[in-house]
Amino acid sequence: MNILIYQISKLLPENKAHAHCDIPCGIYDPHMAQMAAHTVLRMTQLLTQIKGESLESQHTIARVTDVKEEHGELVEDELGTLENDYFKEEHFENFPKLKELISKAVKLSITTRQNIDENSAKDLVESVLQISEIFFKTKGATPVRVKSVYPTEGEIVTHK
Amino acid sequence: MFLLSKFKIRGHSMEPLFKDGEKALASFIPYLISKPKVKDVVIFKVKGKYFVKRVRDIKNGKYFVEGDNKKDSLDSKNLGKISNQEIVAKVIYKL
Repeated sequence: MNILIYQISKLLPENKAHAHCDIPCGIYDPHMAQMAAHTVLRMTQLLTQIKGESLESQHTIARVTDVKEEHGELVEDELGTLENDYFKEEHFENFPKLKELISKAVKLSITTRQNIDENSAKDLVESVLQISEIFFKTKGATPVRVKSVYPTEGEIVTHK
Repeated sequence: MFLLSKFKIRGHSMEPLFKDGEKALASFIPYLISKPKVKDVVIFKVKGKYFVKRVRDIKNGKYFVEGDNKKDSLDSKNLGKISNQEIVAKVIYKL
């Protein structure tokens, strides 16, 4: 019975139901989304560098893919929190590209999970950086891009 | 209204029943036969967003809903009491 229900459930589209802590703590930060996007890029780079078909190589591929999957989901979740809980209608009005940017980043988080595609992973990082810049502007802060200390050698967005 | 739908639970207010990221099957079919009852876990839609909470009380046709994890939940004091029309499904199975 459980297996039947599980099989049926796999065919159903998935919606999100909010059961948030919803204590209005006001603590939102795009930092986690940025870190997760850089991790997706780094895992994608590592996957392209793994050589050979040995058991060890297959094991490494499995582990790296798992981390890529997990952080792709984290990007989606973190952006979902910003979209649903932080960004308000006025933010979407003041930054007309915001909705499109979030939608693009979520799609890229899926594409990068489905493939080993470094260009998509770089696009994902860039989209998340642009969302982060808008986030800091909505806070009245001036966003700045700085070189990350990550092996991806990309940038992160912080604020003055 | 959902004949049968799958929901990914986001947040912690329905713990321990649902942890963040767990999934549930929900259906409106039970509510074609009878109205939501106290203790039902329901999916409802407010301002375009779906929420999952448990019905705690029903008065004058309005539903007071609350998360199981009370120290961490938004309840009807914040959301406003829920009308029958806003309830879109009953949670019937935890995946």
